[in-house]
Formats: sequence, structure tokens, C-alpha cells
Amino acid sequence: MFGYVVANSDELKVKEWKEYQAFYCGLCQSLRKRHGIKGQITLNYDCVFIAILLTGLYEPKTSESKKFCALHPTSKRTVLNNEMLDYVSDIDIMLAYHNLKDGWQDEKNVLKWLSYKTLESDYKRMNQTYSRQEKAIETYMIELNKVQDREDENLDAAANLTGKMMGELLVYKEDEWASYLRKIGFYLGKFIYLMDAYDDLEDDCKKGQYNVWKFYKEQVDFEEKCEQILTHMMAACAKEFEKLPILLDLEILRNILYSGIWNKFDNIKKHVEKPQVMEKL
Amino acid sequence: MTNPYAVLGVTRDASEEEIKKAYRALSRKYHPDSNINNPNAKEAEQKFKEIQVAYDQIQKGDDGGQAANGYGDFSGFGGFGGFGGFTGYGQQRQAQESINIQAVKNYISNGYFKEAMNVLNTISNQDAQWYYYSAICHAGLGNEAMAIEHSKRATMMDQNNFQYRELYRKLTTGETWYQTRGANYGRAVMPGSGLCCTIMAANLFCGNCC
Repeated sequence: MFGYVVANSDELKVKEWKEYQAFYCGLCQSLRKRHGIKGQITLNYDCVFIAILLTGLYEPKTSESKKFCALHPTSKRTVLNNEMLDYVSDIDIMLAYHNLKDGWQDEKNVLKWLSYKTLESDYKRMNQTYSRQEKAIETYMIELNKVQDREDENLDAAANLTGKMMGELLVYKEDEWASYLRKIGFYLGKFIYLMDAYDDLEDDCKKGQYNVWKFYKEQVDFEEKCEQILTHMMAACAKEFEKLPILLDLEILRNILYSGIWNKFDNIKKHVEKPQVMEKL
Repeated sequence: MTNPYAVLGVTRDASEEEIKKAYRALSRKYHPDSNINNPNAKEAEQKFKEIQVAYDQIQKGDDGGQAANGYGDFSGFGGFGGFGGFTGYGQQRQAQESINIQAVKNYISNGYFKEAMNVLNTISNQDAQWYYYSAICHAGLGNEAMAIEHSKRATMMDQNNFQYRELYRKLTTGETWYQTRGANYGRAVMPGSGLCCTIMAANLFCGNCC
């Protein structure tokens, strides 16, 4: 995925940081166990968030072990495992497969073809187990291409598609929490799409690629408006999140949703604002 | 109807955390998995369901009348009607547009946002009013970003219009608590960012610029 859904590590307590890492290592091991090394390289923090969220909501039996790994060869790492981590690792592979396939079709990049082909058998094995999620991802890819092709100026067109897909992925099962998770996923997905587009704006403009913000970037209050819109999405997401009866790792989840998720945005903003400060001086 | 707070064994003024804790404790106790060998498993399951419903009721009722996607009811916006006096000579185009705007208002007040949008798209003169109604339509259609974009534009084009500012305020009202909470989790709200600007803008509008 995109790597925006991260913790603000400076603000986590040592204990929380260790727990966060244990989930990260847990997802990595889960990917390895279920999909091999090719699965492991798709590891990302967005998925770690989903795993912590679902673990907090369902409180499944979670085992803890200590392992050495190639990435951290000097000391043993704490590794968590539960059914949510396994679920998220499967979902992650399905997303990676579609992304690579889409990338191959766009760019005809041999490396992407190779990587998506290596994931194909894992993908085919899973799309029967997760037909609802699979359908959501597939529809998303098709619809997203349409929005890009018609150069849609509607800020919500692609974002709503991302939101819907993310909502389906967050729904682990169709139970009493499904409607809450769909909404959390919807606003989170909208945030991620618009944040990613904001991040890529300059690049896309140079390359002449579709970017929904390019239709608005000449406005005097563009930066402020972007932040307002992104904040709106996260506020709606957090509002729904607070309704779930989550007590486990609550502070990590809140750290991510209220603060960490802005890491990238605030970094970009610092660069944008610096020249203005210089002028004032 | 049973009182959901009573089902969870908390008082009506219980904090969010107390409600969540109560729910967790009870749902663990009555969960079918923990009552497999219980001769009263049926009753336990019944109780478990009641707890679920009660929790759901509290959380969903908590919306305070706001619509699912965070916005209130938009059909009441604008105080519609009272148009006319536009049919003078040489004002045919203007007259047509006022008829169109009237149609937009009618559609909006009945909740037909898509139809209202279609009419808006036939209007060539995109003034502050146009952006205002477009924002309402987008909000009704679940296009939050466009709603904010267009309502902001309306306030910029006509800074003295109270109605436009009120819509923008309403659309962005859920954000202050979020940003306050962000500060608790270490996100510094820097000068020039949303919250500050909103306050600055509010000052500007009130005429006491600093």
C-alpha cells in the first residue's frame, strides 16, 4: 500500500513502541509463513495498523515468540501471531498482486510482470477464501482506471473508490462491527488517496500524469484547503473509530490516527512553507 | 424499549471508556465460546445479543441527529423561495438562470442532489451562489472534499455572505476536536495550518483584523 498509516514514534511510550514493533515483526513472519520471501517484501505499516485495529476489536488468541531475522540480525525480536495478522497478510498479498498487475499493464515493466506472476499462485489460492474482498479490489482497479482516463476533476471520484475498497478490506467478517469498519475504512481510504495524490502532485505534473489536485493547485488558498479536506477525512474516520469498544493497544491506534498519519504531510508542508518564512525575515 | 445503558450496567452519564469496559466485560462473560458447557447456554446467548444491541444503540444514537456521513440535513438550507422580478427586457438569459437556480433549490429541498447537480451543470455563470449550491449537492452525494472545496470558494467570492460562511462552518465543524486531540498525541499544529487559519479567517470576517 502507501505507507502513510504510521505511528508518530517520538510520542509512543517505550512499551507501546515495543508492542508496535512486535506487530510489525508479526506481520512480516506471517507473510513469510503463508507466502514465502516474495510475500515478505510486500510488508508495510498500513497493514500493521489494520492488524492492530482488528486485534483490538476481536481480541483473538495471540501468541508471542522471540525470533532472529535477517533484517535485525543482532538481537531477537518479539513476534506476535494471531488470526488477524494472518488475515492481513493475505489481504496484503491480494493488494500487491493487483497493484503489480496494474503496473505491468500500464508500464509494460518486465520486473512488474515477473513479480505479479510469482504472486499469482498465492493469489488464486486466496481469491476463493476472500471473494468479497477480491471483488472489491478488482472493481476498484477497473473503476480507478476509468476515473484516470476521463481526467475526472471531482476530488471525491477516485477517493470514494479507494474508500469503498478499504472499507471492504477492514471488514473481517459480516457481523455487528461491519458497518463501523466500513466507515472507518471509507474515510481512511479517502484520506490515503488524497494524501498520496498530494504527495505525488509535482511529479505527476512533470510527467503529465493524472492527478486530481492539479485542477485546484493554482488557487491562492490551495495548501490550506488541502489540509482542511484531509483533516475532514481523518476527523470522520476517528469519530467512527472511537465508537468501537477497543481497549487493547488503544493508545497506539490513537497515536496513528491523530498524529502519525500526518507525518508525511507535515514534512511536505515544512518544505513548502520554508521559502515563505525566509521572505518574511 | 429497554434502556441500553441499564443493559450494560452503567449510568447514562458514563464516560466512553466506562461504556467500552462494561461492554467488554459482559461480552466476554456471555460470549457463546465461554458458555459451551453452561447448562444455561441459551440464556447466555440471548444476553450476549442484548449486550451487542445495547452497545450498538448507544454508539449509533450518539450521532446526535447527524447523518451517517457526518453531515446534517441539507434540504433545510437557504430559506428558499421568494424569487422574481427578473423578467425585464434583455434579461432573458438571467431569467433563465434564475429559473434554473429555483429548480436547483427545489431539487435540493427534496433531497434530489444528483438532479440538482445536473441543472447546475447547465449554468454557465459560476458565481458564488453557484458554488454554494454545488457544495450542498456534493455534501448530499457524499462528496466531502468537493463540498468543502466549493463552499470555501463561495465564501472567498462573496466574503460578506453569512449563509455561505455558515455552510462552510457546518461542513468543517467536526475538525476542531480532532486537531485538539492530535495535539495530545504530539502533532504540533503549526501556524498557517487549518485550525489557525480558521480562527484568523473568523477574525477577519468579524472585522477585527490583527
